[in-house]
Amino acid sequence: MEAAMKNLYLPHLVTIEDVYQETPDVRSYRLVFKDPGVRDTFDFKTGQFGIYSAFGYGESSFCIASSPTRKGYIQCTFRQVGRVTGALAGLEVGDTMGFRGPYGNWFPIDEWKGKNIVFVAGGIALPPVRSVIWNCLDRREDFGDITIVYGARTVEDLVYKNELAHWEERNDVNLVQTVDPGGETPEWKGKIGFVPTVLEEVAPKPENTIAVMCGPPIMIKFSLVSLEKLGFSDEQVYTTLENKMKCGVGKCGRCNVGDIYICKEGPVYTAAQVKRMHNDF
Amino acid sequence: MDKRLLKKANLGKLIEGVTAKGGVFVAPVREAGEVYYRPVTGAEEVVLDHILPKKPFKEFFFPQTEVIASFEGHKDQVELKGYESVIEETVIFAARPCEASSTASLRSVFTWDFVDEFYTNREDRAVVMGLACIRGDRACFCTSVELAPDTTEGSDILLKETVKGDFRAEAVTDKGKAFMERHKAVFEEGGTEAVETKKIFEPEKLDVDLKRISRWLSQKANYESPLWAELSRKCVGCGACTFSCVTCHCFDITDEGTYFEGERRKNWDACQFEFFTLHAAGHNPRDTQYKRWRNRFMCKFNFYPEKFSSKGCVGCGRCIRVCPVRLDITEVMTEISRTG
Ligand code: SF4
Ligand code: SF4
Ligand code: FES
Repeated sequence: MEAAMKNLYLPHLVTIEDVYQETPDVRSYRLVFKDPGVRDTFDFKTGQFGIYSAFGYGESSFCIASSPTRKGYIQCTFRQVGRVTGALAGLEVGDTMGFRGPYGNWFPIDEWKGKNIVFVAGGIALPPVRSVIWNCLDRREDFGDITIVYGARTVEDLVYKNELAHWEERNDVNLVQTVDPGGETPEWKGKIGFVPTVLEEVAPKPENTIAVMCGPPIMIKFSLVSLEKLGFSDEQVYTTLENKMKCGVGKCGRCNVGDIYICKEGPVYTAAQVKRMHNDF
Repeated sequence: MDKRLLKKANLGKLIEGVTAKGGVFVAPVREAGEVYYRPVTGAEEVVLDHILPKKPFKEFFFPQTEVIASFEGHKDQVELKGYESVIEETVIFAARPCEASSTASLRSVFTWDFVDEFYTNREDRAVVMGLACIRGDRACFCTSVELAPDTTEGSDILLKETVKGDFRAEAVTDKGKAFMERHKAVFEEGGTEAVETKKIFEPEKLDVDLKRISRWLSQKANYESPLWAELSRKCVGCGACTFSCVTCHCFDITDEGTYFEGERRKNWDACQFEFFTLHAAGHNPRDTQYKRWRNRFMCKFNFYPEKFSSKGCVGCGRCIRVCPVRLDITEVMTEISRTG
């Protein structure tokens, strides 16, 4: 008898335990593995991603938005943009999804012990950063100052509003929220301005500091300039790259940027590494 | 048992010996004027007067479409069933040596870190019987990519046609040796060098230096070279080259059916297609054809050799023969080798 084949592409079944409508088109799910064995042993590192499926529609990749310090479940946050995310968005509490992972590399936060951390995020790109934020907050004593600069186009586009309120209250976190000019509401108490500009105003010190940055390409581009002005080197800045993925395990051949397979060697890179890559993203 | 003689008259017996045990015997067959690798049950189906089957035999290890799971959705739960790849012994008879050497390439991709057992299960159970080429055409260029029409690389058994039309069989791997042992009634004594074999075909040798090409490709600045748009201008993005290439491994994972009853499949895909890298949100990193063609060339001559330590191109020439606009990969190789 041949030993049973290991099916690399077979997802785990997960149940949606909680649904949060973050913005009109962004949803977060708290997912629990149906198999108790998987639920008890599943582990990942902050920054890794998963491949989520809506049965009958297909698979889509996005990061694991929860922190590995929170056991027993994972959270994902996604924007409804295509066929699969559209189908996923139609699911409710109690429904079943598929999950494969964790895949990819992670933020080396163990190497950051004793350092200050500046999180810079824009719009729907807060989820990967959220995982790192909670990971750091759950080990708060390991790190120095924690600063979060988060911006979105409009107040409505800010995700994780409950958590933003929580971070706002904590005195061991410096949260600066901003919306693009014109995106504010009469009640808005945060800043008005683009992330790179606000980042320069906040002016985090580069000494002994790591910057974690995720956002739309244009925000990344200008925030990198801002960080450089503030004295950050490219080795101090971490980001994640996103590309279309299917397999997540280095086989299907579509996530590569030059010879770098994002699904296996990424998605986490320093700005220095990104600058060395072929222009293929 | 390393060198034997397989009489042409005994081919039928060999086919029977394999298929009787539930194995699959794959050989070149003529179908509507073209030659394809197909499972056969008798020697009379096999043709050997061709140059190269239209499609590579990789589909027997990596099928064009294959079910990886099926599911049935109910009101409050989903039943999910994983599939396994069928693992009967598969004999590939008269594989072209260039093609045979490409299994190592596919294997390197399907096993780096994560192992795709859909692929490895099949390849592990396959016996590749390469047949040295006595004819070829102007699209063949194996000798320019460090191979030869009679290379043993990748074959478990290498066959050479004798002047009498029989086959001298040389076991290359242990798997091949064991296969010959199992079928020793047809692998007779007398396959020594003394048996005269037909003259091996000699493809034209290109003036290219693979190392130089790879080095040029790895330089970031050359990614922006105007050469790319120039050299691939003709390409219409049909994907024929990728579908017929022995080392192309790209695939898609898609669901067919509905939530209530459906299948998840792995289907061949091609980096030449516009939607291949299109993000759901609209951004496409390879938004023009030259960028897609550049990826294909990079994959063959840089990613495969550097990243996977294997051959990205074995010089089979299929992509040249099928291309509707005659975009010849050897012309690009020559140009880049000259520039680099
Ligand atoms: S690139 Fe063309 S010549 Fe080379 S292995 Fe593929 S199909 Fe054959
Ligand atoms: S076969 Fe020719 S036209 Fe078609 S994608 Fe390949 S190079 Fe382009
Ligand atoms: S997602 Fe398939 S190779 Fe990276």
